[in-house]
Amino acid sequence: MTARNATDWEKAPAMPAGHFVSGRVYTDDAVFADEKARIFGKIWHLACHESEVPNAYDFRAVDYAGIPLIVVRGRDGMVRTFINVCSHRGAKIVNEPSGNAKRFTCFYHLWSYDDRGACIDIPRAEGYAQSGLRKEDAGLRAVRTEIHLGLVFITLDDNAAPLADFLDGALTAFDDVLGRGDLEVFHYHSAVLDANWKAWQETNLDIYHEFMHVLLRRTQLTAGRMDERAVTLYRNAHALSSGLKAKYENYAGMQARPDALTLPGIAPDDFFYVNLFPNASLLARGTVIRIDTVTPIDARRCLVEWRGLAPRGEPGAARLLRMRHHNQYWGPFGRNVPEDAFAVEACEKGFAGGGAAFQIIAREENMSAQDDGMLRAWYAEWARRMDRLPGDPVRREGEGS
Amino acid sequence: MTVVPNELRELVHRSCFALDREDFSEFLSYCAPSFEYRISAYSPEIRKPMIWFDQDYGGLESMFDMVSQHLKRLGTLFRHPSMGIIDRVSDTEMKIVTSVLIVDTDPNGRSKLFAAARYTDTIDLSGTAPRLTARFVNLETRDLGVGSHIPL
Ligand code: FES
Ligand SMILES: [Fe+2]
Repeated sequence: MTARNATDWEKAPAMPAGHFVSGRVYTDDAVFADEKARIFGKIWHLACHESEVPNAYDFRAVDYAGIPLIVVRGRDGMVRTFINVCSHRGAKIVNEPSGNAKRFTCFYHLWSYDDRGACIDIPRAEGYAQSGLRKEDAGLRAVRTEIHLGLVFITLDDNAAPLADFLDGALTAFDDVLGRGDLEVFHYHSAVLDANWKAWQETNLDIYHEFMHVLLRRTQLTAGRMDERAVTLYRNAHALSSGLKAKYENYAGMQARPDALTLPGIAPDDFFYVNLFPNASLLARGTVIRIDTVTPIDARRCLVEWRGLAPRGEPGAARLLRMRHHNQYWGPFGRNVPEDAFAVEACEKGFAGGGAAFQIIAREENMSAQDDGMLRAWYAEWARRMDRLPGDPVRREGEGS
Repeated sequence: MTVVPNELRELVHRSCFALDREDFSEFLSYCAPSFEYRISAYSPEIRKPMIWFDQDYGGLESMFDMVSQHLKRLGTLFRHPSMGIIDRVSDTEMKIVTSVLIVDTDPNGRSKLFAAARYTDTIDLSGTAPRLTARFVNLETRDLGVGSHIPL
């Protein structure tokens, strides 16, 4: 018998726990509600790059799992983050994605806030004398913010351990390039994909799928050796994938990346990347750095944001070539990213209506080659935070069947 | 500003229809060997103009050769160019600006807007037939969903 009957299809795969994931992790409403509270309510999230708010009073409005946030560089040079909603009746205050403003005035009844989130003006405040409302008590909700290597991280959890604890050194591979280079974001694009947010991060965690991309078949599978690849796991399921190489000239129309454009700590044919739990990925590919983050809009849709980093103020010709390098793989017209997005939406079609029962993450190759170890570590961390079993997420860990 | 002569309007439309059909060699037949193609967008997030795609004639040619080997978005993209206006004229060169809506139709026949854009085409009039020497596509739409492997 080749195809399976209903019972066999729904049966958990005959392999150790942690090697498969139930489709319900993508579709169950209670699971999603828990993810918002236990994961997105707790983690440090990479909100933007410091260069997006270079000067005093610069702001950058971003969305985080349905919550509008505003990242502001204060007059004192400090970067702070607030929930971008008015203390009065909850209206979203800032609607431009970025700008420079000494005060934020809500359009609705004109309450105003300063660069530190203090409420500084309430029109006709005497009307609140009776109820006792004072502007001193009407500040914005501050969101903890820390910067590491120019990356601006935020957490909604006032009691979260410091960022360095959370990262556990996982970004060490980027110390040189992000620490030494004076970098700026030169590329930003985003897309709402019809898929559960985890499916996007899984494309970053799943090395085996390089077969899907003809570009990687030509440039990656022909370069370097499988056993030179290694995955290093950190606490909290952050992971570094290193030892990958690229031969760009093996794809018609592309050339090897020139030494002159490479970034500190990266060789022209190097490709390494770090996945930060749960939703960010930093990729270094010779001359370019990509940062992507994914956040849920709801259980069935996610927002993916891609950034490209380059040395600030580099000459036009160098920048143009670097843009080309970024776009070849990672732009909306690139050879790679559209294929990943396609795959993500295809998996959603499989899982959304219950068509697919499980996905398999069972490849073991000594954390090298095309091992699924990053995926397994990610789901183990997910399980720990969610107190749910990835293979049977509707049941709590420890509950009987 | 002048009304675009029929022959040039036809060139713009034919170039769109060729891309709609993914007939890349027909598309290239409307382009001069010095053809430059670029897709750009302005990011209000980082307050910078961005180039998302740029190729010359040879670059496009080798890219087109690879398209069939890629995993491609499903369905079709149809370009709907509006009547253009002439931006600049010399004896041998014209610039035409055309607003374009690009409609995405999935394999089930459901259509939705993929992108709103503006073409700035430079057309060489010195030969026997007019030829595109440049097409700069400026995107108004910045969320392109899964994106695209072929030019707009
Ligand atoms: S809701 Fe903002 S001032 Fe009233
Ligand atoms: Fe991929």
